[in-house]
Order: sequence, then structure tokens, then C-alpha cells
Amino acid sequence: MLIDAVFRREVQGLFRTPLAWGMLAVTQVVIAWQFLAQIELFVELEPRLARMPLPPGVTQLVVQPLLATVAMLLLFIVPALTMQTLAGERRAGTLALWYSSPVTLRTLVLGKFAGQCAWLLVLWTGTALMPLTLAWGTALDFGTLAAGLLGLALMMAAAGAVGLFFSSLTTHPALAALGGFACLVFLWMCDWSGPMSGETTVFTHLSMMNHFQNLARGYVDSADVAYFLIVTVAALALTVWRLDGDRRAL
Amino acid sequence: MRSAGLAPRLGSVYRLANNSPHMTQDVSLVARGLTRRYGTRAALHGIDLTLRRGDCLGLLGLNGAGKSTTLRILTGVIAPHAGSVSICGHSLADDAVAAKRHLGYLPDIPPLFVDARVDEYLALCAQLREVADVGPAVERAKRRCGLGDVGARLIRNLSKGYQQRIGIAQAIVHEPAVLVLDEPTVGLDPLQISDVRRLVRELARDRAVILSTHLLAEVQQICTRVAILHEGRLVHEGPLAGEECWLRLRLRAPASAPLLAAIGGVHAVKTTEDGAWLLQVDTPATAEAIASRVTADGLGLLELRAADSAIEQTFLELTRSGKVVAC
Repeated sequence: MLIDAVFRREVQGLFRTPLAWGMLAVTQVVIAWQFLAQIELFVELEPRLARMPLPPGVTQLVVQPLLATVAMLLLFIVPALTMQTLAGERRAGTLALWYSSPVTLRTLVLGKFAGQCAWLLVLWTGTALMPLTLAWGTALDFGTLAAGLLGLALMMAAAGAVGLFFSSLTTHPALAALGGFACLVFLWMCDWSGPMSGETTVFTHLSMMNHFQNLARGYVDSADVAYFLIVTVAALALTVWRLDGDRRAL
Repeated sequence: MRSAGLAPRLGSVYRLANNSPHMTQDVSLVARGLTRRYGTRAALHGIDLTLRRGDCLGLLGLNGAGKSTTLRILTGVIAPHAGSVSICGHSLADDAVAAKRHLGYLPDIPPLFVDARVDEYLALCAQLREVADVGPAVERAKRRCGLGDVGARLIRNLSKGYQQRIGIAQAIVHEPAVLVLDEPTVGLDPLQISDVRRLVRELARDRAVILSTHLLAEVQQICTRVAILHEGRLVHEGPLAGEECWLRLRLRAPASAPLLAAIGGVHAVKTTEDGAWLLQVDTPATAEAIASRVTADGLGLLELRAADSAIEQTFLELTRSGKVVAC
């Protein structure tokens, strides 16, 4: 399978760079720090929560903020991860190997995307294991947790695809990272300046944060899932289109 | 396929009669009317090429003549704005995957993943080209390119010579029918250059090879045919073998053409602008007879050497003036 060869090369390339391991380490430390801080806060608040008629549980007070932090971190780390994948290869001249091999551009892009997802899966697993350790000592809302982790996985896929697209645009990896970061931050916070009345605008629908927060709160709405899938598929399709255009120099 | 008639007709361009069915069976690569622009600048104007099994075509030209662009188009790395390429009967535009299975390509910068080990990299290249038995294919390519003892090394830690050989190994790991090499000897030391040239000659025996270079001597040593590119146009294409052999002779005393033509083995006599004689001979060994005759006649031998061939003259003219000359 050709996609398998592309995928394995991408994973090999990623896991042999100190950047990927460094980012994984730093991200895990940040998440763990946030996790412990949230637990400490929860322990402090517990006596007061006990007096409330319908108190928020540990999933709301520890897991949701944790997932929100990871989602925010993704805006920074995913473009840094994906910047090399096409821009770096274009710079090193290795794109010629793919282009002159019997690999379609679609296979190339999907294989590379799958390779990025493998790295993100490691991050996702590390993130998921932290709240799961709480199950030993307290009752977790597994439904909410599952919805939140689904949201995180979808967000990772969308951010990876956007990063890949920006990597296909340029020869300079740093520029690719900057472009991907700018695009993701825009998608994340594009409705921050919207009306306070709660009125829905086009930016409300465009905002990645809104869709992610719904999932993190435990609401699995098909519209939110579709949003992430559409962003992912559109970014991948644009990447194929861009690589083809690059070859043709139209 | 685009008709050859659409391409600019260059008087001296050598074309195989590949339109007749009985001639097409051995044809490995056909390019017709390749045109490519970078922005508003035209890099290639209607290039036609045909390669058959056993051909080794040297693509010769100055820097910026369009050699690399031609090779990138032939390998599908970039698409032409006009024209078509077909490899072993498969169109590169319509059936790219099938066409590229028969193709091996070494770009001007070898496309190496420097964080991989040599064996890993070659195995990946074999898988990409859908080789059934990856292990033996990698071993064979390594043996041919002299990489037997570096299989476990990281590519990053190897010398430029080794990296170039890995680049060639990836291009031949799947035994392609068409091998495209972009300046395969650039940056190598003399010993490595000689090794690579020997390897290319060997590879060209049972496949079609096209290589680009700006060294005429390299083409003369390796290739069976030569194509000269200048400013995106093919100004000469033809076989290298069977060229007439000319000697250049300079004498102190005046001599007459009949006198020189009477020497055994001399078929024709011409004069040059700088007062020297050009003698057409069967073999360069005739120089001995010419030398003893002019010495015996007391004509004063000043210079006697092999004259530049038609290809050399064309290429040297290009090199000197940057202008196209008829050939």
C-alpha cells in the first residue's frame, strides 16, 4: 500500500526530530500542571460544593478546563508540528521523490496527514489518561469525558489539516507555522467581538471555540462534529489542490 | 498525443521514425512539443525527444538552458504548459501512476531523507515504486552503487559522494525502463566521477537513460546520443557514434591541399580561418603518417591534434558567444 509507505515515512521523520519529542514533553508538563492545579482547586472548593443542591462534579471542574487548555495549546503546537511536512520537504528537494513516484497527490496528502495524526494521537492519549486516573478516587462522568475527548480528537484533526495546508503554501517552514497559527487563532476567536446579546452571527458558526466548547460540555451535536469534519476535509482538499497547482504553475 | 508538427521544426533535430507501429515497441520515452513558462519567461519552447531501450542521451547545455526543467517535466515533477510525455506507452498526463512505475529519477539535489538509514530509505523507495521483493531489490541497488558497507549508516553522516550514489540507488531500485539523471557527477571527486560514469554506462545497456550535464567530455564518455539545449530550444540532437574524424594541422611553410590530400588515409582537406588545415581521416592514428610526410617535405610541423567534432564546435560556440549556431 502506497499510503502506508507515505505514512510510515512521515512518522519516522516526525519522531526522529527533537522538535516533536520536545513539544510532546512540554505539552505534557503544561497539561499535568494544569491538571494538578485544577485538582487542588477542586479539593479546596469541595466543602462549599457539598452545600450546593446540584454541585458541579469533578468532570466539570477538572476535566473541562483541562481539555480547554489542551485545545488552546493545539493552536500553537500543531502548526509548529506540521510546518516541516511539505514546506521542509520542498526546501530539501525531497518532494521530487514523491512527485516522480507512482503516488497520487491525494495519497501523499492523506499519508502525511495520517502521520501527523499519529503524533497527535500520542498527545491525545496522554491527555485522556490524566482524567482517567481520577476514576480510582472519585466518580467520573464518562459520557461528558468521552464527548470532550471526541471534541479534542476532532479539533486535533482539523488543526493538523489546516497546518498541512499552510505547509503546502511555502518553502519556509517558519512562514508555514505562522500562517497556520494565524488561521487557527482566527478560527478560534473570530466571534469574540460579536454582540453581547447572544445573537448568532456567521462568526458564531465559524468559531472553532464554540463548537469545541459544546463537545467539551458533553453535548454531542452533529453540527459541531460536522464543523470539524468539514474544516478537516476542506483543508486537505485545498492542500491537494495547491500541490497540483504548484506542479502546473498555472 | 500532441502532433510533432506543432513543435517548432529545428532543421538539424534528429527524430526517430516512431510514428510507424513497428518502431514503437522499443521506444521507452516520447516527449512532444514540451513548453514551459516561469511567469512570463519561457523556459522551454517545444522540445521533442525520443528514447529507446539502450539509448543513453546526454542533455547538454549551459546553466539556465532548460536542462533541469526538461528533466522535471519528463519525470512528472512539474507539468508542461503544452506538449506531452509518454513513458513505455503510458501518458504522464492521463495515466501518471502507470507511467511513473517505469521511471527512475535523480534530481539535481538528491531527494534524501537525511534522518533515515540507507537501508530504510532504499526500502521506502522500493515500496513507493511497488517492488514485490523489497529486500533483494535494495541489496541489488546497493551492490551496483557500491553502498554495501553503509546500509546501517544515517544518510546525514555520509559524504557527498555516498549521498549522490544513494540518489542513484533510489532511482534504480525498481529497475525502471527509463532512468533520468540530472547532473549525476556534479560535486564529486575525480575517482567518484569515474565510478558514476562507469555505473551509468552499465545501466544504459538494458534501459533508456537520459542525463543532463554541462560537460561535453562526460557526454562523449558515457552517451550514445547527444542533445544540445540552448535558451529552451533543442539546437542539436543526434547519435554520437559515427561522427567524422578530423585532424587539425598547422604548418610553418605554405602547403597545397592536393599535397595533403595525397597522404594515405586522408579523405578531405579544408582550411580554417586561422590558417590551419583540417584533414578528414579514417582514424586518429593517421596522424603518424601525416606527421612523417610533412616533416619529410620540410613543411615545419607546428600543431597536429584531433579537431573539435561538430558537437564540440556547436557547444563551444554556445559557450563562447551564447548564440545559437547552425549545425
